[in-house]
Amino acid sequence: MKQKLLPWLLGVGLLVLALAAPLLLQNQQYWLFIATQAYFWAMLAASWALLAGYAGQFSFGHIAFMAIAAYASGIVGRDLGWSPLSGIIFGVLLSGFVGLVIGWLCLRLRRTYLALFTIAFAEIFRLMVNAELDMTGGPMGLYMDPLLNTTSYIPYYYIMLALLLASLGFMYWLANSHFGLFFRSIREDEEAAAAMGVHVVRYKIMAFVVTSMIAGLAGAVDHHFIGFIAPTELIIGRMSLVIAMAVIGGIESLLGAALGAILIHFALEWLQEIPVPAGLMPNLIALAPTLEKFGLGVGDRGLVTNAWRMVGFGILLMLTLRFWRNGLIHPLIERMFRAEARKETVAKRMQAVQTQEQEEVES
Amino acid sequence: MIELDVRNVYKSFGGVQALNGVSFKIEGNQLVGLIGPNGAGKTTLTNVLSGILKPTSGEVWFNGERVDKLPPYQIARRGLGRTFQVTRAFRRMTVLENMLVPAMALHPASRKRDFYKKAMEILEFLTIEHMANEYARSLSGGQQKLLELGRLLMLDPDVIILDEPFAGVHPKLMEKIYEYIRIVHEQGKAFILISHDMESIFTLSERLLVLNFGELIADGDPQVVKHDPAVIEAYLGEEEEEEGPVAIPARPVAGPEENDA
Repeated sequence: MKQKLLPWLLGVGLLVLALAAPLLLQNQQYWLFIATQAYFWAMLAASWALLAGYAGQFSFGHIAFMAIAAYASGIVGRDLGWSPLSGIIFGVLLSGFVGLVIGWLCLRLRRTYLALFTIAFAEIFRLMVNAELDMTGGPMGLYMDPLLNTTSYIPYYYIMLALLLASLGFMYWLANSHFGLFFRSIREDEEAAAAMGVHVVRYKIMAFVVTSMIAGLAGAVDHHFIGFIAPTELIIGRMSLVIAMAVIGGIESLLGAALGAILIHFALEWLQEIPVPAGLMPNLIALAPTLEKFGLGVGDRGLVTNAWRMVGFGILLMLTLRFWRNGLIHPLIERMFRAEARKETVAKRMQAVQTQEQEEVES
Repeated sequence: MIELDVRNVYKSFGGVQALNGVSFKIEGNQLVGLIGPNGAGKTTLTNVLSGILKPTSGEVWFNGERVDKLPPYQIARRGLGRTFQVTRAFRRMTVLENMLVPAMALHPASRKRDFYKKAMEILEFLTIEHMANEYARSLSGGQQKLLELGRLLMLDPDVIILDEPFAGVHPKLMEKIYEYIRIVHEQGKAFILISHDMESIFTLSERLLVLNFGELIADGDPQVVKHDPAVIEAYLGEEEEEEGPVAIPARPVAGPEENDA
């Protein structure tokens, strides 16, 4: 029992921290904004983990589904005068519908081919949005009405937190129901799943629709908060970020992917300028010319990393893929929750070996 | 009454005629052996029966219904189950989860725990119950074969096609698979048993089908088929092989069978 207490305490602690964050960050709107964005990324990473990690559909189109809902909501708001709320609902449904079409088109594509197809889809979508001017605003972007009549970040913070928790809860239920069982059987072996009576087509498409809608929900709500969306948000680098977050968190774990996204988003923000103790600042300033040669800078409070943080992050991703295929966070969660269960299996196994040995001795 | 009726089935892959007008009928819980040299079309036939491949022409009727145009999952749900030549357990799912997939596919309205008891009983019979919560990939090759057989029982089919269940299996495990086939057969299930292991085929089968170059060259009592000159020439009489530096088959061996595995 003692072992189970720690993870629960940790979970409740994190939840309390998340709920209390606006009080703690009252004077730091910036970090509150970062936290809200972290939840946005967490929704993308977790839903992508469901699609790729559970259902085995390694799609690069997730960011496009996020943007479809955001653009759709923005456009119906501007041109048809729809409220942001009805716009969001429309956008999410549209994302789901496009997810259905893409899922259907991808039915016969596996692994590499699916990845290439979805990259093509996402890039075509980005180029279209970029080239078209009247509806999407092209490279100038699209301004979106605020969801709420307030300038405070706090309500948005709670909305995104609530959406994250709700979508995590929903996906957790899905993953642990027979849907999750079928998703994973499809990931493991489509033909064998079909031979076991699983309606592969239905569940593959379902995985696309559900995860596209969650990505769309995150995208539409978040961009009504930011108030603006532009095609630069759809570049493949941003999709890679979602994948990296999920992989580092744990691609086969919804919670792992979500926590991975939150931690990485915060880390990337914090690493923009690594604080240095005030006493050491003169030394750093003296080093500035050398540092600049390496693409590093010196700010008011410390070392400005510029693009180097992404390099470090990329290396972390590569190391994770090479050495920790289950991600970095998921194994920790596993260890905390499953320690008891593992002990049991090991005991049973030992028992089986013993009885076998006994039988052999007897015979 | 179980009835599987294969009517004049042809299947070609480009220029290769893998099945060349195969017809046979299984009535009741027969235990049918299916043999033939490599490339004879055994796996192609299995894939046609289980819906993975559609026949070029011909029909397959199962329990009074035409099934050759149905998708594989529909055929499985109607009670025609199969294993694969190369074991295809869901490797990154636990053994118990492997067992639950067919049960939940048949009864999506039920809850997973409704099937725990049945699954554990089957696993116990197959002597892998202690691995229930382990990933299937941590099972040995033989244990994975047992798991595949267990998964089939959860699907509870009327006709079970076993594609090479004895390939690379330890003698002790072989006995277990024998026992499985006998018990499940006694429960009223029909079997189509594909194997190159002649001893098993002749021990278990009540009826023997012999395929060669996509054609059924013999069908009947194993002891009679054994002495059929055509069968001896095509398959059993390997000792009569012509001598030469390289044994080249008289006709090219069809390729697709290996590709399916």
